[in-house]
Amino acid sequence: MFKKVLVANRGEIAVRIIRACRELGIATVAVFSEVDRTALHVRYADEAYFIGPPPARESYLRIDKILDVARRSGADAIHPGYGFLAERPDFAEACAEAGIVFIGPPASAIGLMGDKVIARKTVQAAGVPIVPGTEEDLRDDEVERAAAFVGFPLLIKAAAGGGGKGMRAVYRPEDLRGALASARREAEAAFGDGSVYLEKIVEGARHIEIQILADAHGNVIHLGERECSIQRRHQKLVEEAPSPFVDEDLRNRMGAVAVKAAQAVNYVNAGTIEFLVDKARNFYFLEANTRLQVEHPVTEMVTGVDIVKEQLRIARGRKLRYTQDDIRMNGWAIECRINAEDPYNDFLPSIGRLTGMTLPTGPGVRVDSGVYEGFEITPYYDSLISKLICWGETRGEALLRMRRALEEYRIMGVKTNIPFHQRLLDSPRFMGGQFDTTFVEERFSLSEDGQGDQCDPEVAAIIATLVAHQRGQQAAQVVARDSRDLSNWKFFGRYERMRR
Amino acid sequence: MKYATTVGDRTFIIEVNRENEVIVDDRPEQVDFRPIDGHTLYSLLLNNRSYEAFVEEREGVYHVLLQGRLYTVTVEDERARRLSQVSRGFAPPTGEIQIKAPMPGLIVGIPVEEGQTVKAGQVVAILESMKMENELKAPRAGVVGRVRVKQGDSVEQNQVLLTLQ
Repeated sequence: MFKKVLVANRGEIAVRIIRACRELGIATVAVFSEVDRTALHVRYADEAYFIGPPPARESYLRIDKILDVARRSGADAIHPGYGFLAERPDFAEACAEAGIVFIGPPASAIGLMGDKVIARKTVQAAGVPIVPGTEEDLRDDEVERAAAFVGFPLLIKAAAGGGGKGMRAVYRPEDLRGALASARREAEAAFGDGSVYLEKIVEGARHIEIQILADAHGNVIHLGERECSIQRRHQKLVEEAPSPFVDEDLRNRMGAVAVKAAQAVNYVNAGTIEFLVDKARNFYFLEANTRLQVEHPVTEMVTGVDIVKEQLRIARGRKLRYTQDDIRMNGWAIECRINAEDPYNDFLPSIGRLTGMTLPTGPGVRVDSGVYEGFEITPYYDSLISKLICWGETRGEALLRMRRALEEYRIMGVKTNIPFHQRLLDSPRFMGGQFDTTFVEERFSLSEDGQGDQCDPEVAAIIATLVAHQRGQQAAQVVARDSRDLSNWKFFGRYERMRR
Repeated sequence: MKYATTVGDRTFIIEVNRENEVIVDDRPEQVDFRPIDGHTLYSLLLNNRSYEAFVEEREGVYHVLLQGRLYTVTVEDERARRLSQVSRGFAPPTGEIQIKAPMPGLIVGIPVEEGQTVKAGQVVAILESMKMENELKAPRAGVVGRVRVKQGDSVEQNQVLLTLQ
């Protein structure tokens, strides 16, 4: 096995990878920017090296600095996590040139799948169905002409994109120009590449993805699906495995196609093939993610496979320890992404010191967190602070556990989207599995009345009144003391003088 | 002390006289109210029923987050209530409001101009922070006053971006 692994990431995913290494007896190296000196990944790693100022461009995205740390620390492999350098073929190549193992697919596979335009062509040639759209990196005037062919509604997507960045839905032709400019700007800022393509929006579609594991000896298996339709602005918020929409037959068909797509690019290591599935159970290739996914824990919970440890073994050249027949889905798992965002203020990011935190625990609960009490949430990185994952024998049990765990979870000092998740889990449509990718934005509202309604405004009124009352009393005491103005010594001195 | 507490369209008259009792609309209720972290989290036993809530006060309005639901609550003691009833009707709710940056970031666009009329909910500034573009919307209808920043500016938290009249 590897002796020492450098984790080129931060936050909860860096912690997750360090945990896997610890369990395998591998030493770990963390890297950190100026604002992350006291971050959890730095505290958990065996060694940690400073790599630069807070903006990712000057630290977590600096290939030269990270490779320099790898050499100085004697790391024999690098795990990129997700985001940052995870899907950059030049980084995988630079690692190879430096004689360091990149824990992920070969640079060629990242290149093929990472450029979404090429990915679509490649998998289409292998017989994988794709969503209608344009194929080229388009200039602005070409976009306008192509849009008419693709038809509205359509999506503008960044060729280098992921995580919803540089992506815009356009419903009317007159909105195209503005959306295009803003998509290019966001793509340029996030990936350093503003090229875009268009894709038709499949209406009423679900976003369902298949987890792939492939070794360097030509074995490829899938670990079933994840349901990721609960999204807002193309950011996933809740994921579950399996999907309430997928039966054994659809799972086998999608799995077989995903394996085919992976084989088409000689894929090695863990990866994800994303599909759109319409109401008639037709499915279309959306994109491939050539890395560990944020939502990998739900698959781990139902299959029992530790995906990060498998990644390490595969990168070391070992054969897969499982065949397709070994993979069984046991029970149901659901994940809520806990973001430092205020759901009652248009999901604006919330920053500041986390002054208090109580984590949910108990049966079937897993928390992958990257923060702790006293840690400062800064505006430099994305707002994901932890992932809450619950397992149950059935979907119903998993949902009830999640509801219980969300109520236990207390985060103080910054706003989080926990209330959003609580309201979502109360919504009858979500409970019934009746949702598609537009559900959160078009048919869900935080003020909607669900079944979990037990509290009434009277309790809120009593609480606010008692807080106001306590404050009023404290203020009265402060004023009373201030009006005397002086210290007790001075007061007593004057009193004594007067009596003389 | 007697308070008139309003949540949405309901007003409760709540009397707080003794430590372990409140009288809500003439009905006595047993309470045991404790701060948990000393800032925002409180525990309430209301007739032995246990509740926890985050409470935040902004400009005299209490925001109570209880079981995933946000309640906006105004609390007036009797004197303040009488005063406000007298003054009500004199001053129409006008005045300038400032649109501030809710967090540090980069201005990627100001889609409005000085003097432009905007509707409530209309986007007046786009701020990039935490790797996302965040749209800042007008809290009410009005006319754009001074625009104090331009595209490409880096702004601090709470910096005034523009004003609405």
